[in-house]
Amino acid sequence: MNKNEILSKLSEIFREELDNEEITLTVETTANDVEEWDSLSHIQLIVAVEKAFGIRFTSSEIQSWNNVGEMAESIASKL
Amino acid sequence: MKIEHLIESISAKNAIHGKKLQKNFASLSEDENYIKDYNTFISKYKVILEKKNLTFNDSINYYLKMIGDFNEEMLDFIRTNKYRNTSFNEVNQAMYNNPDVMVSHMHGLLLSQFLWQHHYAVYQYFKTTIQQFLPVESYLEIGAGHGLYFEAAMEKIGENCTFEALDISESSLELTKSLIKSEKVVYHLKNVFDYTDEDEKKDFITMGEVLEHVEDPLSLLNKIKSLIKPDGTIFITTPTNAPSMDHIYLFNTIQEIRDLIHQAGLEIVDERYFVSEDIELEKAEKRKVATMYASFLKIKNI
Repeated sequence: MNKNEILSKLSEIFREELDNEEITLTVETTANDVEEWDSLSHIQLIVAVEKAFGIRFTSSEIQSWNNVGEMAESIASKL
Repeated sequence: MKIEHLIESISAKNAIHGKKLQKNFASLSEDENYIKDYNTFISKYKVILEKKNLTFNDSINYYLKMIGDFNEEMLDFIRTNKYRNTSFNEVNQAMYNNPDVMVSHMHGLLLSQFLWQHHYAVYQYFKTTIQQFLPVESYLEIGAGHGLYFEAAMEKIGENCTFEALDISESSLELTKSLIKSEKVVYHLKNVFDYTDEDEKKDFITMGEVLEHVEDPLSLLNKIKSLIKPDGTIFITTPTNAPSMDHIYLFNTIQEIRDLIHQAGLEIVDERYFVSEDIELEKAEKRKVATMYASFLKIKNI
């Protein structure tokens, strides 16, 4: 799965979990760009991402991301 | 340190959490008491930190360490629907008897009292409602923790009262002492189940966020019932769906807490709940979002 495919799958998950059809993620997207993305939904998003990709993140990974691109890199490294 | 500056400093280190704090602040600052309460607290807290050779930066790091730990527990909780720890002895060893872990956690919790809407709301509820149950001549707090409730109780109850604070953790009790700074308080470093009242029952017992730390919360409620005068008042708080490394007993719903209170032969005189996010209780329970429950209780007349 290449980075664009990961991004497009992530966008789907974000739309579903945050209940906002208008979300389109790029590598530069941060929590400040998506209104519903806060600390509570972050954890719910992570569990949904783990489920969709069949992977597990560590807690340090979860706190290390500054944008969606870094999250996508973590995912790519586990596939 | 001004509250805005505190939130900015946290946001600089954890942007997603900072976003949540900004949202909390927008709503908390509408409360007329909030800034005044925060300023009173932070000036006392500054002295406590200086005495321990700590800085606000250390305190912020403690807070963020707690947030990181909570996130980890939350991840596990959402994956399993269970709290990770089930044994009191294990938590006692790993946390209550571990000064490094405990000091960090208590400082984190202390800041949360002013950064989290539901924590500040419970604190306000306690301060305003305890006045309905005065006069109080004997006050006991079980799990005095950071000491903020104890301090508020002393202020509302006044001089003519014996004050006792009990906690299982030495580090925690040290923090209580440094906040209270009163000669008249009797401190007990022990497990509540080992506390005996020597026939001197209490007018008022506070037990904030303790029920979720034990394996059998019903026996704990029975224990405090045995320590209160027949017409005395008990104030308890406990959360639903709040994973933490020292939480053992999971309440899934507010009703489960009420049922337990009734099972212990206590009646609810006044109660509130505070959802940690801006959603209705029903949705919070369905989505497993933490909600804080607080109530004033009396022994039920048979």
